Order: sequence, then C-alpha cells, then structure tokens
Amino acid sequence: MPHRIPSVSQRRLGFAFALALALFIANLIVLPSFVSGSQIAGTVGTLAPFALAAMASTPAFLSGGGGIDLSITPLMALSNIVLVTGLLGTTLGTPIIAIPLLLAMGAVVGAVNGMMIAWLRFPPVIATLGMFFMLSGLDLGLVPDPVSAHASWVDHLAGSVGPVPGAVLTIGVPLLLWALLRRTPLVDSILSVGDSAPAAFSAGVNVDAVRVLAYLIGGVLAAAGGIALAGLVQSADAQTYTGYTVAALAAVALGGTNLAGGAGGLTPSLIGAASIYLLDNLLAALHVSSNYVQVAYGGALLVAVVFGSLLLNRSRGPAR
Amino acid sequence: MAAPEQAAPLPAGSGMAASNAGRAQAATAPAVAAEGIAKSFGVTRAVVDCSVDVRPGEVHVLIGENGSGKSTLVKILSGVHRPDAGTISISGEPHRFLASPRHATDVGIVTVFQEILVAPQRSVLANAWLGADRLVRRGDTGDERRARAGQLLGRLVDSPDLDMPAGELGLNDRQALCIVRALLRRPRMLILDESTSALDISTRDNLFATISELCESGVGVLFISHRMDEVERIADRITVMRSGRNVSTTDRGQLSTAQLVSLMIGSEQVVDGDRLSRHRSGDTPHAPTLRARDIRLRGSARPFDAEFHAGEIVGLAGLEGHGQDDFLRLLSGAGNGGGRVTAIGPDGQRTVSSRVAAIDVGIAYVPRDRRTEALFPTLSVLENFGVATTRADRRVGLVSRRATRERFAQYIGRLRILAPQPGGAITALSGGNQQKVILARCLAASPNVLLLNDPTRGVDLGAKADIYTALADATAQGMTVIMLSTELIELVELMDRVLVFREGELFRELQRGEITRTNLVAGYFGREGG
Repeated sequence: MPHRIPSVSQRRLGFAFALALALFIANLIVLPSFVSGSQIAGTVGTLAPFALAAMASTPAFLSGGGGIDLSITPLMALSNIVLVTGLLGTTLGTPIIAIPLLLAMGAVVGAVNGMMIAWLRFPPVIATLGMFFMLSGLDLGLVPDPVSAHASWVDHLAGSVGPVPGAVLTIGVPLLLWALLRRTPLVDSILSVGDSAPAAFSAGVNVDAVRVLAYLIGGVLAAAGGIALAGLVQSADAQTYTGYTVAALAAVALGGTNLAGGAGGLTPSLIGAASIYLLDNLLAALHVSSNYVQVAYGGALLVAVVFGSLLLNRSRGPAR
Repeated sequence: MAAPEQAAPLPAGSGMAASNAGRAQAATAPAVAAEGIAKSFGVTRAVVDCSVDVRPGEVHVLIGENGSGKSTLVKILSGVHRPDAGTISISGEPHRFLASPRHATDVGIVTVFQEILVAPQRSVLANAWLGADRLVRRGDTGDERRARAGQLLGRLVDSPDLDMPAGELGLNDRQALCIVRALLRRPRMLILDESTSALDISTRDNLFATISELCESGVGVLFISHRMDEVERIADRITVMRSGRNVSTTDRGQLSTAQLVSLMIGSEQVVDGDRLSRHRSGDTPHAPTLRARDIRLRGSARPFDAEFHAGEIVGLAGLEGHGQDDFLRLLSGAGNGGGRVTAIGPDGQRTVSSRVAAIDVGIAYVPRDRRTEALFPTLSVLENFGVATTRADRRVGLVSRRATRERFAQYIGRLRILAPQPGGAITALSGGNQQKVILARCLAASPNVLLLNDPTRGVDLGAKADIYTALADATAQGMTVIMLSTELIELVELMDRVLVFREGELFRELQRGEITRTNLVAGYFGREGG
C-alpha cells in the first residue's frame, strides 16, 4: 500500500483546525478564565448563533454553480422574531411544536431560493440578495423596536440544559443531522454537483433537485440559528445581527470549504466560525479597538486563502 | 500518465467480432432502435433523418466525418437532447424522447460521452458510482461498491487508489473511470462515443475484451470511433452517417475501408464551386510571414515545423480535436504547447509569445465560438466593429462615433454586411452578418496574418461566399490567411495548401493539386491516400 497523500480538502481542514487551536491557546494565555466551568456554557452559547450562520451558508457554496446564500442572516432573524413574538407564551410555544414549525419555515424559504436558482436560472447572488432584502424588510416591519422575550425553555439554550451546555444541543443536533445525511447519497450528490455539474448530469444525477435541496438545508440550519439566537439575546431584534452576514461567509472560507463548490462541509465551517470568534475574543481581551477587529478578520481570511491555494498547487504538482 | 497513442496495427480477425456476428444474427429484435430521428439547432440541421438499431449482443459501429451528426444522435439516445422528430424504441417499446441521462439510464441506455467527465475533487470511488443513487436512498453497501468498482477498474487499468481524488488521475485512467461508471449501471445498451481516443493500447485491449464479454451476456454496444483499425477489429455491423443521415448499414467485412471512406465523403456539392472566386495570383507565394519551429502540441507527439507566406491561404484540417485547433491558437499567441512561433516582418523577426505580442506584429484571429469568444453581445454592431481599433477614431483625445461609422461604411460595402442599423444590437443580425462584422473588425486592424478558426460554421451560403471573396481579396493584397475548416468543400475549393493533423501531429501537407476529398479524409483517418 503506497503512502496515502492527504487530499487538498483534508489539508485545508488541517490548516483551519491548526489556526483555531492556536487561537484557542492564545485565548487561554491571555484570558485563562474563559473555559472555566462557570463560563464555558456562556462562551459556547455566544458562539452558537454565529456558528450556525456559517454552517447554514455552507450548503449553497458546496452545490457549486456560483452558489451562495446571502439570505441566511435575515432568515435567522425572522426565525428569532417569529419565535419570540409569535410562538413563546402561546400554546404553540412548546419546543415540540415551535421547533418543527420554525425549521419548516426555514425549509420553505431555502427551497424558494433553490427553485429560483435551479429552475428559474436566477444567478445565486441575485436570487438570495433579493431574498435578503425582502426578509430584512419583513423583519423590520415585524419588530421595528427590539422586543424582549418571556421567560421560557429558550433561555437555557445559551446556558445549560441540565448538565449539558445548551449550545452543544443547538450546534450538535444540526451536526448530527448532517452526519446522518452524509450516510444518504444526498450530501455526496451535493458535492458531486458542486464539483462538476456536467459530470453529475451526464451520470444521471438530478442536478436541479440536488441544488434545491442544498438551499433548503441551508434554510433549515438558518432557522435553527434563529432559535439559538433567541436563547442568546432573549429578545427579538431585527437589526443587531446583520453583521453576521459577511462574517459567516468569511468563516466558511476560513474553514476550508471550496467556495466554488465540491469540497467542504459543516464541520469546517464550525471550525472557521470558532476561529473568528476566538480571534474576536482575543482582540477584545487585548483591548484592541473594535474598529480594528475587522482588519484582523480580513487578514486572517487572506492568509487562509493564500495557504489554501499554496496547498492546492502543491498537491496538483507538475502538469501531467 | 497516458502512454503515447498510436494507431498500431491490430491482429486481423481477432475472432471476437466474427463470433459476435453469428450471435447477432440469431437475436434480431433490436435492443434499441432509433427511427427517423431529426434535430436542428437554429438554422443548423445536425441530424436530418437517421435510423439506427442495435441488437442485443452486437457491436454496432457508427462512423462519419466531422459534423455528420454522430454526436448529436448519441446525445439524443442518451437523453441530453430531445429530437424534433422520430422515435426511440427500447426492446420494442417506443419513446418520443428520453428526458434526461437519468431517464436514459433507467431504460437501460448508458453512455460514455466524448468529453471525459469526472468530478475532480471527488474520490475515484465516488466518481465510479456517481449518479447511481436516488436523492436520499442508496442501493447497496459501501463495501460491495468498493469491491465492484475496484474489480471493474482493475480489469481496464492498474487499479488506482479508490480514495484518491479523480482529478489526480491521468487521462487514460480518467477515461477508464468513466467507462467503469457506465458498466456499473448494468446497461442494456452501452454507447461509447470516441471513448478509445484517450486510452493507451493496453487499456484499449482490455476494454475490447470487456466489450466482448458484455456482448456474450446480451448487451448491445454502439461504438463511435475515428480509427478504422478499431472499426475493423470489433464491429459486427457498421453504419455510415453523412450530413445527418444514415447512408449505409452493412455487416462487418462487406465493404472495404476505401468504400467506407467514400461513403463518408459522399459527393453532393455543398457550395457552388464557381462562387469561390479564385482571383489570387497563380504565382508561388512570396516572402515568409510566419514561421513555426519545433511545435509540439502534445507531450508525446512528434514535433514539426511550418512556414507561411504572404499572399497564400492555407487550410488546417483534421478530425475534431486532433491538434489543428491547438496549432491555430498557438499561432495566435494564445495557445499552450511547445515550440516557437516567429513573425517575420519588414522590421525583422519577433517571437509571438502572447496575444498582445501577436496583435503587435499584426496577427489577427477570428475565434471559433462566435458567441462566447468573439462577440460583445451587449454592444452595438458599430461598437463590435470598432472595439479593437478605437485608436483610429480618436478626435481630440475622444472617440468619435462618426469616425467609426465612416470606417465601418467601407466594410458594409466590401463584405456586403446587412446591418440596417449600425447602432443597433449585434445580436439582431444573422449569424453570417455577425461573422462578417467580426471579420471586418479584424481586417480594420490591417493585419499581416489573418487566422480564422472555422469561420463559416453556422453561416448561410450567401454569407459564406462573401467571406470567401473577402479572404481572396485579402490574399491578393499580400495578407497571409490561415484558416481552420471543418468543411471539405472549403478546403478543396479555397486553399493553396492544406495541413492535415492527426493525433496532435502534422500528418500530411497537401499541395494545391493534391487537395481532394479522398486525400483529405484518408489523411483524417491516418491513411496516406492516393
């Protein structure tokens, strides 16, 4: 058996993981308390909505064809708003009913995005930017001013559910579902379509249906992110989290997912999101002006891209 | 790394074709029968009226020259295109069309396309089983899949690591992977569209052995090839296509290679020969203008030299993808490949190392794909004409539209461009007039060398004649014209010399008196000809 050379995506993931680990250690040195027993749940709870935004942005990229979903953050906000103002405190407010309802709403929005792109052949940027504006407007119309939530089960999500940090559920359950999906042909099909749509089409893959499902999965994850967000902020606010939009895309890239499609996954995006979160945390602990934080995001992203392309070139080697 | 391709002579009558023929006659009900198929793309009639059937257990070979409709027929049978007319019967059950490759696969027609289609970042294993699953339900277990893919792949090539990304495979192995993908779908009819052109000799022999076994088990094979030696080796029946029709179907051995070639050529006149004006001087051409040295189009190909002179028109020909296109792009400064292209002008010699350098020394290029490579679809006719020569329209530092309009007026007359509104959209013109505008753009730069990549493709007859006249005028003024053409009639009627390419090499150079349909097609198929 010849020595196995790790694939490009494995190496990219390796780089993202090393970066996250280095940032984690730096955080430990500067701010040892942030992983202490009392704070860990809160730390991860703060990370959860952002991590879910990055994870939700991922399937659109994976499906290729210029795929991107810009409507993830306003959809998260919508899920948050509907939960806080519409469901909590009513008979529909129990987790058993509210969660499936919200996820279904996310699925519908995602599917609409996917159908505009796959069937009506809208460019993904245009379709999802349109959806971004429509949802943002809807969010603002529903809650012009922030509304705080009634005390409920949601409060535990940013803290602990019993001994388990709530965020382990909000991040872990979507990851688990994705892992189950990986055991079906769907994720394989998304990656194949993203890698080479002509090859997938000629081999008999229903390229359009696969792309619709990719956006649908993104919508479901965004809705889950909205629930995590409600747990974190315990209110409904249309505007606070618009900053996630671009940062989530950066997290996907930082994690090593190929933005042109075909390689990557939710775990890389989670790691990418963790890196950005840890970087943020570190800079705050070092009292760096928040005005400069974005310079660091940008720098990290560019470094990751440079490393990614270096790895890519090395593995391709000389032309055959 | 693919081994060098060669048209090596194969042992005649390897036995397998003969035995297949016997079986094929016993089982006469066709596995798949296409009847009266027609398909047009805009004004181009790719398939006019074609009927072909494939019986269980036979190898049915489809041959024909460029543009005879083979690939379109394949795409109809595999669910990529919908035919305008005709039926496709599968085991006697008629279908008007197959909606998608998935549908074709479901009814038992599996195709290995001419393009080598792999998902490069996905593993070899994932590529082998690509498309085998429904959206969320998987057929068999991963272990079975690994075993079957490994076993089939191992019969064609030295089995590569199944977990390696398919993009890291060499060309031969990628093609083998595409074939394995098709075999794993258990076809009732397998279509191999020029699937051997990327294979080395041992893989091809392994493929033929596999085909033989498939036929034993009752699978019908439709095999498209440009290699007559392969055709002779594995065909049970041979159908010749020409101009979108099937012109003959015969059992193996009934017709000689020469007879098959003459069937492919046909004799109908596509363009009235008299309209191809020949007001070039009959003298031998003058000074050299462009020189190509040690040109190597593929890693393993033999390098060659070529030289072009002022006032001559030279044709580049060959079967699709045999190097003539690469050579032309190399001359235009945009190609990849080894060797050195030098432009020879009054001020000495200069190397053509890039498109910019080429334009600088006066080499103009009319690309093959008008829509994506040459046109600016959102700009007007006038802008499309003037875009490369705006410098000529400078008035006090600004571009004068009137100056462009005046320059364009000359070409409207010379090329007989039918553009009622020069300020209107280029896309409103017919294909022929669009091509004339692009030609005018190139001529307006007063090049020394004009390169054209199949410029009359999809152009109507009248416009073709106008283009020929313009090219003859250009050579009369001392321009060197080098034109890739896929139409035999153009090569025969228009060219002073023709360079025939085969497998990435310059196979033969035909001089004026030698340019005949027979010699051209013989050259395409690797024969020296008469």
